[in-house]
Amino acid sequence: MLLCVLGGYTAFSAGPFLWVAIMSLRTTSEISASHYGLPSPAHWQQYVTAWTVSNYRTYFWNSCAVVVAAVALTTVIGAMAAHALARYRFRGNRAILFLIFSTIIFPAQITLLALFQILVKYELFNTLTGLTLVYVATQLPLTIYILEAFFARTPQDLFDAAKIDGSSELASFWRLTLPIGRPAIATAVIVNFILLWNEFLYAVVLITDEDKRTLPLGVQKFMGDRMQDIGMIATGVMIAVLPVVVLYALFSKQLIQGMTAGAVK
Amino acid sequence: MIGTLLTPALFVYAGFTAYPVGRTFYNSVHLIKPGGVEQFVGLQNYAQLLSSDLTFWRAVVNTMIWAGVAPLLDVGCGLALALCLYAGVPFARFFRVAWFTPVLISYVVVGILWMWIYNYDWGVVNALLRAVGLGVLARSWLGNTSTALAALILTHLWKWAGFNMVVCLAALHALPSEVMEAAELDNCGWVRKTIFMILPMIRGTLIGLLILSFVGKMKVFDLVWVMTEGGPLWATETVSTYVYKRAFGWQTFDLGYPSALATVWFLVVLAFVLGLHGLLRQREPLEY
Repeated sequence: MLLCVLGGYTAFSAGPFLWVAIMSLRTTSEISASHYGLPSPAHWQQYVTAWTVSNYRTYFWNSCAVVVAAVALTTVIGAMAAHALARYRFRGNRAILFLIFSTIIFPAQITLLALFQILVKYELFNTLTGLTLVYVATQLPLTIYILEAFFARTPQDLFDAAKIDGSSELASFWRLTLPIGRPAIATAVIVNFILLWNEFLYAVVLITDEDKRTLPLGVQKFMGDRMQDIGMIATGVMIAVLPVVVLYALFSKQLIQGMTAGAVK
Repeated sequence: MIGTLLTPALFVYAGFTAYPVGRTFYNSVHLIKPGGVEQFVGLQNYAQLLSSDLTFWRAVVNTMIWAGVAPLLDVGCGLALALCLYAGVPFARFFRVAWFTPVLISYVVVGILWMWIYNYDWGVVNALLRAVGLGVLARSWLGNTSTALAALILTHLWKWAGFNMVVCLAALHALPSEVMEAAELDNCGWVRKTIFMILPMIRGTLIGLLILSFVGKMKVFDLVWVMTEGGPLWATETVSTYVYKRAFGWQTFDLGYPSALATVWFLVVLAFVLGLHGLLRQREPLEY
């Protein structure tokens, strides 16, 4: 009985993916004839068409460029700040951490319009560079939060010993904090990657050119322009989802840790 | 040394968070037109939105309904799922993976999937209704002012239930096993064990999740924008979508008024979070 309910919930939760995955292998005319049919034969050609003709290739590489650059920058900047906040006692230490972390609850609109003005002013509006910088700022609080919590748990003795051995402070960041903090850094990288890969609000405001669209924006605009082309939309959706699914399959533990950081305290 | 390490982060924070927030406050008492035209208007924007902007109030009501209902649904559903896994149903690992996956999917994709699910002619909901002979109930779920908001709330629940499940499960696994075993020795059934022991012990986690879910719904934008753009007839307009429309959609070319909207809503969210946190915080921590 309970298993029936759980099975039903699983169908509710996973069913939509199965449906879209099946549709992505069928042509729109096949889908119109029967919306719940199986792909026979499977049209892998759909993916080639989406990639080359429907411009998903451009969206995919834009997403990759923005997300990889933003995650790299966030990780470096965040790790430096987290190290400083976790290792050194100074006035205002906790205040800085609180100030940065509290921005997590801010509605995006409180910065969105002003960011638009700022990017226009510095000619970064409608550029991937501008979007990348904004993404760094949006992910920095969570990154610092995850890393600071982990770095603070590294025993201070290790750092004292390194100091006595004549290691410089930069070297202790490089040789101790970073290698020891690898699990936390991996968590932060993966969760930032997924959140930015899926990001839509900043992209829709800050990007207007077709050839600069990221995947979520590209998929949404494609849907708006060609509402009826269900097969091709489904294929585009799969292109947007597959990298996330692969990451989830490989790093499910870190992903769940990162996504739920901050909620469990 | 501290300075060198902190400077980049503080620079990013100052330039892309602190300054924009201040700039939004500044905008909210100005008329901001393209080409650098700025004209001080005092509190006129605030007076207008509080007194005569009916769309804004409609958006506030919709958002508050959403933020009032959804946290209970999200956390309740997540807790129920977590308890099932905690009680040791078979295939727990498979279930956990299947239930968590929607959390990782972008709102754009979720929105498109559910637009199809709610489609009048061939969507899953109507197909199921017709299959069991309830075809009269079939309707255009997103095109109908009385069902559109509920349809969006259900979709949001679909995305977030797995997240709440995972967090609850972590809290359940952290419970002291002696206490749970003692309850089993006393022949305490699952229902009573849940109400009298598990819920009080994971109260802190549940409250954290409720606040998190509440804040999320107060900000909701992506899903609405993809699925309904606030329609039909403002039935799903939220404060976030309205701010976006006033800034970029309505051709008013004024960033001052939407900034005032954003400022008001920012203060409301802040007040709610502080209030809820103070109200629900555990007064004396439970010792076990």
